[in-house]
Amino acid sequence: MEKYDLVVIGSGPGGYPAAIRAAQLGASVALVEKDILGGTCLNWGCIPTKTLIASSDLFHRARRADSMGICVENVSFDYAAMLERKDAVVEKLRSGVAQLLKGNKVTVFEGVGSFKDRKTIVVKKDKEKTAIEAANTIIATGAKSTVPEFLPKHDRIVASRAFLTRTELPESMIVLGGGIIGCEFACMAAQLGVKVTIVEMLEDIVLTLDRDIRRELRRHMEKTLDIEVLTGASLEDVKADGGSVGGKAGDERITADLLLVSVGRRPVTDGLALDKAALETDEAGYIPVDDYCQTRAGTIYAIGDVTGGVQLAHRATSQGLTAAENACGPNRRKMETVVPACIFTAPEIGSVGLSEQDAKEQGIKVRTGKYPFSALGKAMALGDTLGFVKWVADADTDQLLGAHAIGPHATELIAEATLAIRDELTARELGKAVHCHPTLSESWMEAAHAVHGESVHAAPRRKPR
Amino acid sequence: MAQPITMPQFGQTVEECTIVEWRKNEGDKVAKGDILFEIETDKAVLEVESFFDGTLLKVLVQEGETVSVQTVVGFIGEPGEAIPEVEAPSPKAVAEPVPAPEAPSQLAPAAPPTRGKAAPAAPSAPEKPKRFIISPRAAKLAREKVIDPTRIRGTGPKGRVVEQDVIAYLEERGYDRLRVTPTARALASKEELDLLSIEGTGDGGKIVVDDVKLAVAEKPKPMSKIRRVIAQRLTDSFTTTPHFFTTVSADLTDLLALRAECKAQGMGYTVTDFIMKAVVLALEESPAVNSSTDGKSVWWHSHVHLGLAVALDRGLVVPAIRCAEELTLAQLHEEAGRVTEKARAGKLLPEEMVGSTFTVSNMGMMDVENFTAIINPGESAVLAISSAIKTPVVRDDAVVVRTMMKMTLSSDHRIIDGATAAQFVNAVKAKLEDSELWKSMI
Repeated sequence: MEKYDLVVIGSGPGGYPAAIRAAQLGASVALVEKDILGGTCLNWGCIPTKTLIASSDLFHRARRADSMGICVENVSFDYAAMLERKDAVVEKLRSGVAQLLKGNKVTVFEGVGSFKDRKTIVVKKDKEKTAIEAANTIIATGAKSTVPEFLPKHDRIVASRAFLTRTELPESMIVLGGGIIGCEFACMAAQLGVKVTIVEMLEDIVLTLDRDIRRELRRHMEKTLDIEVLTGASLEDVKADGGSVGGKAGDERITADLLLVSVGRRPVTDGLALDKAALETDEAGYIPVDDYCQTRAGTIYAIGDVTGGVQLAHRATSQGLTAAENACGPNRRKMETVVPACIFTAPEIGSVGLSEQDAKEQGIKVRTGKYPFSALGKAMALGDTLGFVKWVADADTDQLLGAHAIGPHATELIAEATLAIRDELTARELGKAVHCHPTLSESWMEAAHAVHGESVHAAPRRKPR
Repeated sequence: MAQPITMPQFGQTVEECTIVEWRKNEGDKVAKGDILFEIETDKAVLEVESFFDGTLLKVLVQEGETVSVQTVVGFIGEPGEAIPEVEAPSPKAVAEPVPAPEAPSQLAPAAPPTRGKAAPAAPSAPEKPKRFIISPRAAKLAREKVIDPTRIRGTGPKGRVVEQDVIAYLEERGYDRLRVTPTARALASKEELDLLSIEGTGDGGKIVVDDVKLAVAEKPKPMSKIRRVIAQRLTDSFTTTPHFFTTVSADLTDLLALRAECKAQGMGYTVTDFIMKAVVLALEESPAVNSSTDGKSVWWHSHVHLGLAVALDRGLVVPAIRCAEELTLAQLHEEAGRVTEKARAGKLLPEEMVGSTFTVSNMGMMDVENFTAIINPGESAVLAISSAIKTPVVRDDAVVVRTMMKMTLSSDHRIIDGATAAQFVNAVKAKLEDSELWKSMI
């Protein structure tokens, strides 16, 4: 039986970096993948959707190019070519991952990995079974979209992965579930001219976000992209046939060409035989871990979506590195807790730390500072003045607790805020750091000044007492 | 015309009170009966209501300040109304009280407590009650660096700490290697902590906000006035009174059955009521237990002023039931209910908490098998009542299950001998077990 210092199950954005980091630390590493390298993120998630969104966004802007003095006549798009470009990007990245793994001498096993006991993993491919001995194991099996039982099985009802394999865009689409994934797909499709209706059961879309951000997002989705947003509504009596798909949302019956289901994701643990390693999942099916990504079994770690919490690729990557270092390195460290979120809606959103309402719920006295892109030179130059950035600071200590951005390149802008919050900077200090002019990132500085009512480029307001 | 708010007189013995908290701010609307502020005497915390409708125009005595009773502490009136000349009461209010209740010398920590790994931190600080002197420049530097300068050995005249000492100390302690996040530094500075004694848990031992918060939580805080009085009195009692302890188990099976019967008939006697009555009766048989001594003289008390310990969030209070020997069981029940309720509402007057001659402390509802109590100063004994628990006991040479309750008498050995204590606790026990006695009373 082959023996490895570390076996990683799952090669997504959590698994493959974990394998490489362990190899860098001198460990012998095996990586088990049942499908294709790169996991959801690379193949059916982050990368392909952002590639398509880049296209849809360019199309959207080209149609409005006259406001910038550019004449683009009869602008149109070729969805098949967009898909081709997406496939090429994905393929390139996937082969890059394979190269990196090879370069770091990580052995890749194709097949479903399952525990025989705490130290033995059996990889099954078709009828072949290979047993490998693992001094340590990292479970990185991720999550997949859930499609509720009450929905009929039909071609017109798809989750995100199936949507990406469709060769044509629908003319109209219902998005069930106004979370991050639902809103991203809705915006992308709407930019390409699809008539979109979002049906969300909760009181608002993307409810985890700061309230100001949600309000701004919804306004633009409804006004600029003409998306219909139905909140506090469930979709009932769903029927699909050759012509259309539809259901009852409140009193209204809505129909469309396609129904995209984005109501949530569930952890993937089937086939792992966790019981053989004396591990159990929690009630929601996630594998519980401690601050060190360690499960109850000392040599078995779990990272990413399968452990619950916020399901984001970069969180899985960070946890993967932590787990690999804890398993194979000389020092133990806790997983990072300051995890930014990026949402590729139109406009984009970046968010990290506490929202204003979260902070207040925790009983923290907060002070906020906001700065709108409409007042920023660079945003005006870009012709993209939607949105704002916002700091949430502790009124007692001036500590930056949360940062929220909506608008041009908000997903890039959030990086500075993440660093500031992780290193416990105060609003005053951030306001002192010199920011390039003219750039979008100046907005953070202005907003930090605004926390104390001292923004130079905003109309004076009463200083907080 | 604006109405003055005066510090009320709570009973005869109270001369000054501290304002703990203003419940209304200047400019707030106030209705008659609204709680204006909370005060603290050395015995209790009490709420003070408004006698007027209007707006709180002015607060003259701030939170934490102590003033004599009848001092004007603020004004109520209509917004914009002129506030009468306040010079007269004001200087007296400031002059009279001992300035800060937080400053009794025995409570100021000589040095911050050592904790965990940071313990061997202060090699240079031999505890000395000598005055700490520091130059202004040195103090400023210490403040900037967020360290505790009292740990620095001074090389100036009379051990004065000068700037050079601070610099040398920082170097010796490896201050430059210290890594602190900006917020952590700001918070430590605000809380006047010593960065050198905080253990960092961030990257590479960096001190982060959570570390400082932990240190804040561990910082010594002044006890409330009422707690300090309790501490002082209990320490005095326990260190100056030779305590000894006598425990018996009373069989409550029959009494509890009787009580259940009473309850069914709408009579809400509590176990405490029966115990109090039994104690009062037993005290009549053992008058030494109802006396007190200072070690030189003995006071024999002709009345039983029965103290009843009531646990509150902020401490224990012992209201006294006056002349308990004159009360019937029903009257005792009523009186105990009244003082307990008042105690819980924080409405006991200081007079109601002094002069008890014997105390009953009942922890029966807190599931304890046995405990001992500390004698209330001015008394010679206290009876600690534990939970009534079903227990196998021997009756007529057979093991049976009975509901037993342990009672432990703490006695002042200067005045009570073992035999007296034994006689007293057994008298209480005998009465509690005597169903006929109780039947004659209800």
